[in-house]
Order: sequence, then structure tokens, then C-alpha cells
Amino acid sequence: MFYKNILTPILRSIEQFPSRNAFCIDEEHYTYAQLSQCISKVRIALLQCNYQNTKVGLVINDDLETYASIIALWMEGDCYVPLHPNWPLERCLDICEQVELDLILDSSPESRYGGGTFLLKTNELEYTVDCLEPIQGVSDEELAYILFTSGSTGKPKGVMMMRKNVAAFMDSFWQTGITITEEDRCLQCFDLTFDVSVQGYLVPLTKGACCYTVPHGQIKYIYASSLIEDHQLTFGAMAPSMLRYLKPYFEEIDATSLKSCILTAEACPLNLMEDWYKCATNVELYDFYGPTECTVYCTYYKLTKGGENKTLNGIISIGKPLANCVGLILDEKGNECAVGEKGELCIAGDQVTKGYWKNEEKNASSFFYKEVDGKNLRFYHTGDLCYKDEDGDIMYSGRLDHQAKIQGFRVEMGEIEWHAREFLGDTNVVCMAFENKDALTEIAMFMETEEFNPEEMIAYMRTKMPSYMIPTRLYYVPVFPLNANDKTDKVKLKAMIEL
Amino acid sequence: MERTEIIEKLTAVFHEVFNDNNIVLSDEMTAKDVENWDSLTHMLMITKVEETFGIKFKLKELNKLKMVGDLINTIETKLQ
Repeated sequence: MFYKNILTPILRSIEQFPSRNAFCIDEEHYTYAQLSQCISKVRIALLQCNYQNTKVGLVINDDLETYASIIALWMEGDCYVPLHPNWPLERCLDICEQVELDLILDSSPESRYGGGTFLLKTNELEYTVDCLEPIQGVSDEELAYILFTSGSTGKPKGVMMMRKNVAAFMDSFWQTGITITEEDRCLQCFDLTFDVSVQGYLVPLTKGACCYTVPHGQIKYIYASSLIEDHQLTFGAMAPSMLRYLKPYFEEIDATSLKSCILTAEACPLNLMEDWYKCATNVELYDFYGPTECTVYCTYYKLTKGGENKTLNGIISIGKPLANCVGLILDEKGNECAVGEKGELCIAGDQVTKGYWKNEEKNASSFFYKEVDGKNLRFYHTGDLCYKDEDGDIMYSGRLDHQAKIQGFRVEMGEIEWHAREFLGDTNVVCMAFENKDALTEIAMFMETEEFNPEEMIAYMRTKMPSYMIPTRLYYVPVFPLNANDKTDKVKLKAMIEL
Repeated sequence: MERTEIIEKLTAVFHEVFNDNNIVLSDEMTAKDVENWDSLTHMLMITKVEETFGIKFKLKELNKLKMVGDLINTIETKLQ
């Protein structure tokens, strides 16, 4: 399935459209011929590397080498493990150690890696001959990528995605009716550590279209809006928070070139979409939902411009499961909820992950089997509280646990609290996500202590976590208020946040 | 407003938004040089700058801000 849905279409784009643009990166265009040469040079270098582990580290710079490396690794039957250049080195090394990487591909002029791991510097390679024939006979059960997300025990946790998952996802995606041709120009504004990026590059590359990326160090929402306008982009997926940032400037934005636009990674408010229609006058809008564990997206809802759109508390419905997904709302006993009754959304099908990397405990608690229509299906607990309406459309109500989305990234409050406590010793710490006056999510951290200079603590936390996980508001509370059950009264703590 | 006064006020904004009192502004400084400078903090910083100086940026102006020096120049121009 992976050959048919992923590798063959990419090779077809290379063969049919050598002189068309495959990428626009940092204002420079690269054709499919250039992409193919870049893939070839990485593959030939890979053949000369002595590595045992098919899981290969990939430093995700914003350049052609990085994207070509993904395709080259897949052609070799290998799996990529993204390592973000802006994440603390300690966090990346933890990932290297967890997966026991023995090879890292890095296009950085000065690499942060070396030592025990073999380093392949892809920026120094020269193209010699084509090497585009994928290795045959690689099973769809083999891994395609492992993404590390925030984990509440202080260590990032790896989600293993198989080739089958990616292939099933692409098949599901095209069945939604979104069409892309070689004439399209597509936005790819997600970090490669975040799985919407997989849609971001695969949609254009499998159709011969051009993929426009956002360089690291650029302010994403500003850069993306200028890409849309300057290059007349026709398709893109964005997080609603990007549009929230842009909202004060909507009157200045011309997004009339957009034909279809996906909103994803966060709950999507209807009023924001209605305003977005005014800039993107020709657009079809879609709300796509999905945890990393179910490969990018697993449900979607197509909005009707100027018509009725289903919402719950102003949040647009996440719609129906994609073609290769089964989505059920289950109660605490694992029985399906009645129409309108809230329960946990659980997902089964070919897009569901093999599981978490070396984490038996989490695997045992996150997945379960349930018989549906005579078939025993393996389900994933999404942790999202939802209900289905009479048409089968799923309405999103919130999280069951202590997780928040910050700029689209999944963040466990527990992981931030863990690191803060590591620094502070016995101090009680509570982290909370809240919406500021611009409806953007920030993290507030409450510490049960007298006020102190937080510089050292913040510096410590920055060595442990990506910047989006660092709290933007700090509160020193000598004694935490308690509620009637003698638990920390989070409602009272939350009330201290000035919006 | 003198350029030095702008820089002084802007430094205070940076210290507050990026939670780091050691930041020393320079014309060549970019988002890459400040640990916590991402979309969210950028938005918070821009809002704070607008409040502090009583100005309003256009998206086109924000688009052209590549370095802190550009920001200082833009503030200076808008205050005139």
C-alpha cells in the first residue's frame, strides 16, 4: 500500500514534471529534477553508511536536503526520527538514546551531533547518478516515522507510525474530495516534528504540485500570510491560532487565491472562520481533527459558506471519520453512547499507530480491542470528550485529561510541572493553560512559594523543553487555596490570571 | 522621541515578554537570537510595543521586520 499510495506517486511527479517546482524554501524554488538529484545523492550516501538500526535520526532543517532525506529513507525502507534544531540538545539526545540511533542525517553547517553516533552531513553531498528505484519487498508493517510528543513523566514519548498508517492516511485524504494537481501551490507551515507536516509535504509531492515552507526563525503566521499573498497559494492547512494572530490584519490580507484550506490541530471556532471567508473569498474550508496516534487526521467536517454549520459552544463540529477510520463515542464501561450523549472518542482502523516506543505501560492503557459489526478492532483512546448528533457528526467538547494545545503542539501540563519541580525541589507546582484576551493559549505556572527571581529556573526549563512549553506567566502563591475536597483549588488559582 | 529612549522602552518590553532581564538589544538581533521568541511571544511583544508607544502596525510593516533594528526604525518612523 505504501508503494502504491506514496512512493509511486512521488516518482511519477518526478518523471512527469521534472521542470516544475517541487519546493519553494526561503524564497528559492527547487524543481522536481533538483529534488530527484537530492534524493539520489542522499540514497547513495546511505548505501555507503554502515548502520544497523533502520530508525534514522533526521535533523529537520528547512531545506531541500531534509525533505529529500525523508523520501530517500523511505525508498531504503527506513524510518525517520525528527530532531528539531531549536529544541534543547538534551531533549534530542534523550530521543537518540531512547531509539538507540546509530545514524543521524544532518544538513546543518555545524552539526550538534557526533560522538558515538554516525553522522551523515547531507549538505556536503554531491549528486553523481540517479538512484530512484525503491528497495522492493518492504512490508507495510515497517515504520515510516517516529514522532516524539510531550509526556507527563518528564520524558518525551515516541509514537510509532507504520508505512501502512501513512498509506491509509493518504487514501483517506483523497477520498474527502479535495483535489490537487500539478498546477497547485501548497502551504507547508508545520514543523516536521509535528505530523500535520506529513500532509503538508505529501499532498503536493504526490501530485506534482509545489510545496511552500516556512523557515525556522520566521514568525510563522506573518510569513505564511505573505506566502499566500505573494505566491498566490491555492491550498494549505493551518492551525486556527495562526488565523487568530492574523485576525487584526484580516482587512489587509488578500487570500483570494486559496481554493481549499484546512483548519486543524486545535478546536476551530466558527466566528473566526466566518471572518476568514472575507479574506479568502474563493475558499472551501474544512475542519480536520486527529491525534498523532491516528496519522495526521481521522475525522473531518466541510464547512458551508454562508450556510448552517454545526457547532458546540462556538466550536465547529469535527464531522465524520475518514474512509479508513472507525470512530466511536464510548462511555466509561466501553459501551457506545447514545446520540447526543457525551463520551470518549475512540478511533480504530489502518491509520492507528503500532503504539508508543518502548512504553508497555502506556501501550496497555491507550489501546483496546472491541468487536464492531463482527470484527475485532483495535481502538485508540483519544482522551477527547465528544458526542455524535443524529447525522453522525461528532461534536468536540474538550479534553478528559491535563493536556493542552499550544500553537497546535500537544503539551502535557504534567511535563512542565515535572521539570519545574525538579528545579524547585519540594515546591508544589500547578500549570494551567488559559486563553488570553486575544483568545490565544498561554501557560500560567503557579508555585507555592514566596516570590523569587525566576531567571535561573526559566533557564533550566529551557534546557529541558521546547520554547512553546515554557510558561509565559508566573504566579507565586505562599499557600495554595484548597477546595471542599482539600485539593488544590484550581478554579481559584485560575482566577488569579489577569487576562 | 529620541532613538535611545525608544531602545530603552523597547528593552523593557523585551525583558517582560521574553522573561529575561539580560536581553541587550542590538540592530542585528533576530528571533533566532532570543530563546523564547516564537509566534505567541512575537504577538505579545507586538501588542506590548503598540501599547507602550501608542502606535499600530500594519501587517505589511510586520512582514518587513527581519531584525530588531527594523523594529526600532519602524517605531521611530511611526512616532514622527
